[in-house]
Amino acid sequence: MRISTSSLYDSGVARITDLQSSLARIQQQLATGQRVLTPADDPAAAAQALDVKQSLALNHQLASNRASGRAVLNQVEGALSSASDIVENAKALVVRAGNASLDDQQRGFIAIELRGALDDLLALANAKDGAGNYLFAGYQTGTQPYVRTATGALYNGDDGERMIQVQPAQQLAVSATGRAVFEGGGQDMFRTLSDVISVLETPVGSPAASAALTAGLANANGKLDKALDNVLTVRASVGSRLKQLDALDSAGGALAEQYRETLGVLQDVDYAEAISELSKQQLTLEAAQQSFLRLTSLSLFNYLS
Amino acid sequence: MASNILSIGKSALAAAQAGLATTGHNIANASTPGYSRQVVVQSAVQPQDFGYGFVGQGTQISAVKRVYSDFLSRQVVAAQSSKSELDSYYAQIRQINNLLADPSTGLAPAVQEFFNGLHDLASNPSSIASRQVVLAAGEALADRFQLLAGRIDETHRGVNSAITSSIHAINSYAQQIAQVNRAIEQAAGSQGNPPNDLLDQRDRLVSDLSKEIKVTVIKQDGGAYNVIVANGLPLVVGGQSSALEAGVSPSDPTRVETHYVSNGVTTALGDQSLVGGRLGGLVEFRANTLDTVQNSIGRIAIGLASSFNSQHRLGQDIDGNLGSDFFTVGTPLVSASSANAGNANISAAIADATMLTASDYKLVHEGGNYVLTRLEDGVTQTFASLPQTVDGVALSLSSGAPANGDQFLIRPVATGASSFALAVQDTARIAGASPIRSGPVPGNTGTAKISPGVVDAAYLVAGTPLPVVVSYDAGSNTLTGFPAGMPVTVSVAGASTTFPAGTPVSYTDGAEIAFGGIGVQITGIPGNGDRFAISANQAAVGDNRNALLLANLQSANTLARGTATYEGAFAQLVSLVGSKTRELGVTSAGAGTMLSEAVEAQQAESGVNLDEEATNLLRYQQAYQAAGKVIQIANEVFESLLQLNK
Repeated sequence: MRISTSSLYDSGVARITDLQSSLARIQQQLATGQRVLTPADDPAAAAQALDVKQSLALNHQLASNRASGRAVLNQVEGALSSASDIVENAKALVVRAGNASLDDQQRGFIAIELRGALDDLLALANAKDGAGNYLFAGYQTGTQPYVRTATGALYNGDDGERMIQVQPAQQLAVSATGRAVFEGGGQDMFRTLSDVISVLETPVGSPAASAALTAGLANANGKLDKALDNVLTVRASVGSRLKQLDALDSAGGALAEQYRETLGVLQDVDYAEAISELSKQQLTLEAAQQSFLRLTSLSLFNYLS
Repeated sequence: MASNILSIGKSALAAAQAGLATTGHNIANASTPGYSRQVVVQSAVQPQDFGYGFVGQGTQISAVKRVYSDFLSRQVVAAQSSKSELDSYYAQIRQINNLLADPSTGLAPAVQEFFNGLHDLASNPSSIASRQVVLAAGEALADRFQLLAGRIDETHRGVNSAITSSIHAINSYAQQIAQVNRAIEQAAGSQGNPPNDLLDQRDRLVSDLSKEIKVTVIKQDGGAYNVIVANGLPLVVGGQSSALEAGVSPSDPTRVETHYVSNGVTTALGDQSLVGGRLGGLVEFRANTLDTVQNSIGRIAIGLASSFNSQHRLGQDIDGNLGSDFFTVGTPLVSASSANAGNANISAAIADATMLTASDYKLVHEGGNYVLTRLEDGVTQTFASLPQTVDGVALSLSSGAPANGDQFLIRPVATGASSFALAVQDTARIAGASPIRSGPVPGNTGTAKISPGVVDAAYLVAGTPLPVVVSYDAGSNTLTGFPAGMPVTVSVAGASTTFPAGTPVSYTDGAEIAFGGIGVQITGIPGNGDRFAISANQAAVGDNRNALLLANLQSANTLARGTATYEGAFAQLVSLVGSKTRELGVTSAGAGTMLSEAVEAQQAESGVNLDEEATNLLRYQQAYQAAGKVIQIANEVFESLLQLNK
């Protein structure tokens, strides 16, 4: 068949251009490490990669939510630990005050110590987190939850518990309200301490007064026991939530690993394959260039003199 | 006799000269696009009868003709047309394909960042810094929608100007073809020989024209070309050409459409009739891809803004006020055709963003009815009157009356992305809290608990007076104390009972209790006289309940009739555009192969082969030399005759 000389050039150039552009593509894949450079390269993989990226980013965000939840729970746990120490200490003082050999003055010293405990407990109930928010005020984290009264303290907070999103479909409470911690089980710790202090500060001058003292101390002892139980219950719940966060973290870590792997399969270039493809294309291009040169240098005009 | 030899030699010399000139012409035009090689057609001159036989009289050139095949050329023109249609579509869609996927321009990262900000706000509800991050991320999301809208708009304008320039090119080619038709007629008329280079020039013009639009060429008896475009419109008839014109769409003034002008009458050409070539590719890209992309992104913007606003309005900001709109939401575009005879104003509003489609609609008033066509799939609905709500869009007649045949184009979501903006500027206005809270009244004896409580859209209109304190009566196992005038609905496992306002409400452990847009749940065993209070959520700077609800909208199926999340809908769009781009890449490469095969076949016939021309050069050179020898011999023969006399 006849072939026109310009076709010879046109097709040579077209072939070389094609090879160059496919080489450039492989080079770009190798340079970015990505197999899918635009959605057109693999539309299904590109859309799926967007989904996986969203899941990965959400997973990352949930981990960050859990970290901030853990920080709050740790602060609550610290405060609860101090509260249980204070209550235990108060209980020991109350037991000591029951010693019949003590006189009014010695009971007065114990009352002073208990007053200190009451102050400490109140300070604890009004504790703030690092950002200056009250820990035990419910939703009203900007309002001081407990205000001292003659008979103990008054709660100004509410029953709101702050939840955080720890899993795509799971929320976890990361706060405890003052009412739940300090007034749980129907025992108002502040009232109990305040009552026992006034019992101890009442001089014992008669058998009736002595009986009132004994009754008052026994009452306080029982109530402090219940209060301690309550604090320990709340602590146990906080502890279990912290454990839950740990478990969710490791599950989240494993999930992130899976997402990354999926993303890798969807998007990443197979280096071995790409490099071998690169050498193959390079060889083809060199062959195309050389053959083009040879072919076009053949001309009858070379022999016409 | 000798003079006869001389004239034979002379004719051979002339033929060889013509051969050399034609070969030279071929060599000179070896690289000229559209050139068909020419050959000298030589024939023997009528011989002369000398009685003893016929003696040849030499040679003559009967024609210089071009080697040309109508069939092969038509194939090239057709392949050219579909190749440049696909190329122009492909070039346009590739830009959109890259735009959507690029992390710095795509929607997905901005949506993710925004919802991450809300999660952080839920973790630190009173933090001004967290609130600032939400506003900044909201602003960035709005910027991203604006950027996409801007790029789409830019592409629209680019398509408009490309259509205009393609129309100019078509008109210019049409005029030139008409001119060459005339020139060919004149040249052929005077001599009767084909003016080869003019014919090549005309075929070249037709081929160039076919790059702009699909053409059909009809050869007239006189050899002139009639050129037909767009389903039978004559663009060139002999020496006369008509013109296309870039006009404005009657229903959308921002859209350039193609009009056909003939004898002073202008006709609008529908997109369907413009096939092939650059113009066909542009029109198809605009109708099938660009509008879809614009609408899909618009729908995500409107869906996100609407669902987010609805939830935000149910929340309470840091100062205890109910939330306001967080984003501004785009409104549907309605344009009446400029050809309408009536004075009706049709208005459209978004009634339910979940139900929106990514399609445009055409409303026609026909025979007293309104016929609404969804353009994406051609589904029509007929209504006797307005208002009507279709696919989440409420249509109404706001003023005037339509005449029969009046048309309106309704684009519900087209401006979604460009209208998307942040409406809240103050960090305190972010409604991260719930407007209500609940709790047992101190002194309760039972173990029952009340849930924190939720509000729905009804709360915004019910005007429920707070606080509501309900108390439990053990004797009748009922709750009382609900707001006067409000019925109470109690649901257990999906089955609900409504108690008329003012009547005691039976207590069921764990039942959902709803009244005045408020929902609570009481669980456990209440003591007789136990009370539960639902109150206004004052000073609740640490409440994050609405922030959590807002953050969780990210994974809620709020779009496409509740089947897609914001990012899911975007991923669908990316996949749609990606597939179409891929398809076009493949078909355009295929069309390229078809074209180069057609060109190669055509060139094999008509192209110049330099080696062939080199041999022709030798052939004619030798013929020339030989003819010279003939003349020399004739001369010598004559000389020897003259010598006889000496």
